[in-house]
Amino acid sequence: MDAVFRALADPTRRSLLDELYKQDGQTLSALEQRLPMTRFGVMKHLKVLEQAGLVTTKRRGREKLHFLNAVPIRLVHDRWVSKYSEPWAAGLSGLKQRIEEES
Amino acid sequence: MTNADIQISGKRPWTAEPTEKVFEIFIKTTPKRLWEAITDEELRRKYNFGASASSDWTPGSRYELASGSMLLATGENLEVDPPHRLVQSFTAVWSEDVKREGTSRVTWEIEPVGDSCRLTVTHDQLSEDAHGEIYGGWPMILSGLKTLLETGETLTTPGSLLYSQAP
Repeated sequence: MDAVFRALADPTRRSLLDELYKQDGQTLSALEQRLPMTRFGVMKHLKVLEQAGLVTTKRRGREKLHFLNAVPIRLVHDRWVSKYSEPWAAGLSGLKQRIEEES
Repeated sequence: MTNADIQISGKRPWTAEPTEKVFEIFIKTTPKRLWEAITDEELRRKYNFGASASSDWTPGSRYELASGSMLLATGENLEVDPPHRLVQSFTAVWSEDVKREGTSRVTWEIEPVGDSCRLTVTHDQLSEDAHGEIYGGWPMILSGLKTLLETGETLTTPGSLLYSQAP
């Protein structure tokens, strides 16, 4: 679980996950174009995400496709969030959303 | 036209046909126990939102995911290779919204790794704008499956037993 927290601690890696959330199964080249970063930089961050289990890959022909694996985030949630703050967190994030929608 | 030109043109050529979602988890158990937990009616109920899976698990057979008399999803067992691989068609019926999606496909793959198993669930043949509920439950189901096999306990986090009280 340390690896998951470490991987999520970086804003670039979080934006990579957001990109995969929007469009799953992307190649390195596709991801590289969506981020202001070198190919090497994207590769490095993808490797950290893969090691944390947050990104999983599949080979399709010559291409390597990257998929968001949301399971470790759920494990963190079940272990940490639900135990301490689920009722509060759900209530507060709902409140935040409503207020932000109104404004 | 270079590869880069194609990708900027907005046709999204890197997507392999319809949407595909992949869920992967490591569980400290044997392939045999994992297979049993996926295909046993009573065990399934303990981590699958309270829904049990019934089938005779032969290739080409039907299966039903149901909570009591409430049918949640149904489909065909396309490939059955215990305790390694199970491919199923999947038709969700728990709401009008999810019924609109029609039939997609779920592939369970079990691979032993050291003293554990890597379980990969691939949910594909989904339409590009598939309702999030159809595939969004997998992380919760797999988290509950891991807890059950590793501790013998049932997850009680909100939602885990969503349908267990259904008639």
